[in-house]
Amino acid sequence: MLLPKFEFHEPRSVEDACQILAEIGPEAKPLAGGTDLLVNMKKKLISPKALVSLARVETLKTLEPSGGKLMMGSCVTAARLAESKTVTESFPALAKAGQSLGSPLIRNLATLGGNVISARPAADLPPALMAYGGRVILKGAYGERRLPLRDFFQGPGQTVLRADEILTALVLDEPAPGSGAGYMKLGVRQALEISLVNVAAFLAMDGRDGAVKKARIVLGSVAPTPVRAYSAEEVLMGERPTEALFSRAGEAALKDIAPIDDFRASADYKRAMVAVLTRRALREALEGARP
Amino acid sequence: MKKLISLTINNRPCEVAVEPRQTLLDLLRNDLGLTGTKKCCDMGECGSCTVLLDGNPVNACLVLAVQARGRHVVTIEGMETEEGLDPLQKAFVEHGAVQCGFCTPGMILSARSLLERNPHPEENEIRMALSGNLCRCTGYQKIVEAVQAASESRPLRKEGD
Repeated sequence: MLLPKFEFHEPRSVEDACQILAEIGPEAKPLAGGTDLLVNMKKKLISPKALVSLARVETLKTLEPSGGKLMMGSCVTAARLAESKTVTESFPALAKAGQSLGSPLIRNLATLGGNVISARPAADLPPALMAYGGRVILKGAYGERRLPLRDFFQGPGQTVLRADEILTALVLDEPAPGSGAGYMKLGVRQALEISLVNVAAFLAMDGRDGAVKKARIVLGSVAPTPVRAYSAEEVLMGERPTEALFSRAGEAALKDIAPIDDFRASADYKRAMVAVLTRRALREALEGARP
Repeated sequence: MKKLISLTINNRPCEVAVEPRQTLLDLLRNDLGLTGTKKCCDMGECGSCTVLLDGNPVNACLVLAVQARGRHVVTIEGMETEEGLDPLQKAFVEHGAVQCGFCTPGMILSARSLLERNPHPEENEIRMALSGNLCRCTGYQKIVEAVQAASESRPLRKEGD
């Protein structure tokens, strides 16, 4: 399939990239891994007048912890997330989400930023990033904005990103000792799969045998955007972690979702799986918090 | 407008003029005659166009040719050595891991990348590494066996290799 014609720009800095996007307007699209954008162009779903490749902007490829934070450039690939020592050790649920995305071939191309800005409800990385309390940095020709990732999504394929802006980085705070996180993805096969339901959970515990001090549960594929399961989090707060408690949290999570019937699964099945996978993700988070 | 790019293909430096909308896959097949890289779904789903880009396997149908500027591309044609087929290729032949052959170049390149990183993988690691390469003939068993055999016959790396 032939790609539609486009102008091709290869800026070397974020500033230049934003300038080009601002000059051309919404008909210019940033190109990172290309695993969504080029496929959509081949299918003729979109025909941007210009592509602005981010491949030569080296600052977008950083993956460095500093001062208790992990700064991840938006052009870090899913493969790097899955293999990086920093990510696997400090943010295992994110590494697992990275490892669940597409196939090895796709992971070597697909980027962190691309998986976020495409805003697909079933995407692998957003639930894990949100469970760790991730924030995004957006840079545009007219300045910079920082906001929590949960405020970034507006609906399927819809975000607050403006046409002249680039998502440059995601920032995560290093989890405190005594905290852990889990990621669970359900599909009908092990690779090249879009989630039927995916769940990320983060738990911070009060001391070795203490109660739940903080909980964040994020559910994917069961609403127009990834959603926080606040009802489930309330069930957990201040309670000692047990299987029974995790089951109750899983049931409570059903209040926070609005799944639809589609060709992947029925809404009823997705509801049932949210309860199960929330419980399992919490179990994994607790194991991480109490190694 | 065409852009002039330099890249290395199978250890040979080359300079080519490419249209921005041309994929690396089409550059290899149509302009350079390297038709060992197969074109099938052209949507990043089947893995038949797998090439190594700086050592990492990718779908060549999802990479623009201009994005390969300055990088090293290895295709199935680059696997053969002066002594003939690479041991991994021989293992595919000996284990009958080829039926129609369309997925084979991609399978071999994904497997090569795995063995470079992990010379003695477990069976599940082999299956994981090949999970982006679809075969519609064999059921994968013989392919996995061929990679296992190649990894067993592979000498342990010497220091400084």
